[in-house]
Amino acid sequence: METTLLLNTSLLLTLAIILTPTLLLPVSKTSSNSPTTITRTVKTAFLISLVPMTLFMLSGTESITSYWEWKFTTNFKIPLSFKMDQYSMMFFPIALFVTWSILQFATWYMASEPHITKFFFYLLTFLIAMLILTIANNMFLLFIGWEGVGMMSFLLIGWWQGRAEANTAALQAVLYNRIGDIGLILSMAWLASTMNTWEMQQAPLPTQTPTLPLLGLILAATGKSAQFGLHPWLPAAMEGPTPVSALLHSSTMVVAGIFLLIRTHPLLANNPTALTLCLCLGALSTLFAATCALTQNDIKKIIAFSTSSQLGLMMVTIGLNLPQLAFLHISTHAFFKAMLFLCSGTIIHSLNGEQDIRKMGGLQKMLPTTTSCLTIGNLALMGTPFLAGFYSKDLIIESLNTSYLNTWALLLTLLATSFTATYSLRMTLLVQTGFPRTPTNPPTNENNPMITNPITRLALGSILAGLLITSYITPTKTPPMTMPTTTKTAAVIATALGIALAMELSTMTHTLTYPKQNPHLNFSSSLGYFNPLMHRPNTTNLLNSGQKIASHLIDLSWYKKMGPEGLTDLQLMAIKTSTTLHTGLIKTYLGSFALSILLILSTQT
Amino acid sequence: MSFMHLSFYSTFALSSLGLAFHRTHLISALLCLESMMLSMYIALSIWPIENQAPSFTLMPMLMLTFSACEAGAGLAMLVASTRTHGSDHLHNLNLLQC
Repeated sequence: METTLLLNTSLLLTLAIILTPTLLLPVSKTSSNSPTTITRTVKTAFLISLVPMTLFMLSGTESITSYWEWKFTTNFKIPLSFKMDQYSMMFFPIALFVTWSILQFATWYMASEPHITKFFFYLLTFLIAMLILTIANNMFLLFIGWEGVGMMSFLLIGWWQGRAEANTAALQAVLYNRIGDIGLILSMAWLASTMNTWEMQQAPLPTQTPTLPLLGLILAATGKSAQFGLHPWLPAAMEGPTPVSALLHSSTMVVAGIFLLIRTHPLLANNPTALTLCLCLGALSTLFAATCALTQNDIKKIIAFSTSSQLGLMMVTIGLNLPQLAFLHISTHAFFKAMLFLCSGTIIHSLNGEQDIRKMGGLQKMLPTTTSCLTIGNLALMGTPFLAGFYSKDLIIESLNTSYLNTWALLLTLLATSFTATYSLRMTLLVQTGFPRTPTNPPTNENNPMITNPITRLALGSILAGLLITSYITPTKTPPMTMPTTTKTAAVIATALGIALAMELSTMTHTLTYPKQNPHLNFSSSLGYFNPLMHRPNTTNLLNSGQKIASHLIDLSWYKKMGPEGLTDLQLMAIKTSTTLHTGLIKTYLGSFALSILLILSTQT
Repeated sequence: MSFMHLSFYSTFALSSLGLAFHRTHLISALLCLESMMLSMYIALSIWPIENQAPSFTLMPMLMLTFSACEAGAGLAMLVASTRTHGSDHLHNLNLLQC
């Protein structure tokens, strides 16, 4: 009994601590809401949120609490209910830890920003929305969190409003997320009308769930988690400041779509069509993103595509009906991806705003801590044995290999794994090794503890997180235990092949000159021609058909031509010919008189 | 029909066509009216002779009287139009505003 009390109290205390700066906003003197205060708030919340996580790890306590019910109609009530199960209790400390590190980094990164308090406020509001999404037990609260993170993403991507590309990118993010929201609202409507509830426990059917609401959920996940088809907003979102990219577009917001599918997986579990769709969509996304990352030259875009690829991998795991494994990948991915972004932020600031990796080089000697952590992050991303990424990624690939599934999805995922290794190694080689290609006196400085502490903390997390989480959380489904040696080492072999490929290619670029343009390079560096093919024609067709139907067809044609004006045109022809007869001259009348007399005479006699 | 009938019909018809299709001057219309009247006078005069009925001999005189009036009225109109419009061209005789 005390366990649940302690659990609920501590989790609510976490939320209350997070909310404190927002409540202090009306009463703020400058000292009570500064960036350091907000950082300290988040750190406190992280420490408190370790309590429910530890309780869960030790005793397996879960709880659902419900406050205040909104009596929408007589038999459709929406309670404000929080679900504290393994997903939310594990996610809270991880999200708060990552956010704490990012906020600490942002106090250095955005130090010259005049509205830094507002920036931190936006980040805090985003965090609150994300935590609401995580802890929601019904679709209503989840929708509130969902829209909240979308909105804060828009505000934060367009933080530097004077920049046209930033505004375009923010608009792109909002539009693509909105298309996904259609799916979410569709499934919410289906739930409300068929199940008469928005609680997620009451939803599963004993028989197969109809495919329509699941398609809606998958569409929502495609929009929010940048799967193929609704993906262009994620690379464009790199226009925002690096802390924004680190928080939103690597660890927390983009996993909201996958999190939705994890929460609703009982609905998905008995519908093989939806599962196969997730699988193939995820495989396609991961390969596409990995292909595009191979030829990018902006360091943040490489990491963005890497995020997109890992999200595809998470979608693949959902398609394998393994939500817990997807959540494990979310957790481990948060650590090393946030760290990669923070390292790239340090590099960018140290080179005075240079983001092109072709103009970096030899940074291993200039920024030792940062580049070492960059290496650790890349190794974790590649799935190096016993770092954080290994525990989730290797398990996913093993489960892929031992399941009864679509071979094409399997092949794509393995290919994407080797590509991951390739582009990570390319980034490492171009950024850290070789001769410096920067201008001669860059302001490299990483002596500030505000930089090194967050990055090293996240590096520690990248190394240990996988081990810790898998040691303390019991899996709900039995992982595959026996398989042939090749299958067991498939992920490592694919990664090694990718590394070998990258090494070969890098020696080639030093010794041989490759042809200037080939179709594969063009495909990869222009992101698969997706943006120009989709953005212009879709909007043009939509607006054209709207104009044709509403304006041309209905207004002009049916109301005018078929009605009054058409009648006018018909009459006008007759009028014009008979006007010449109505001149009022006697001669015409007499002439017609004579003509008619002649006619009568000729017919009579 | 007999030769007389043909000549009277054709004279009358030709004169009325001339009345209807006059081109520029009003006076040509009046002349055609006169020729219509002339052909009718000759026809009315031949009528009692053919039918041996002397009591119809008055008819052409009556017709002549009225045609004289009508010719006088036509000439008066010609003079009036010449006074107001400057000539007797027919395109002047138009009440339409446009």
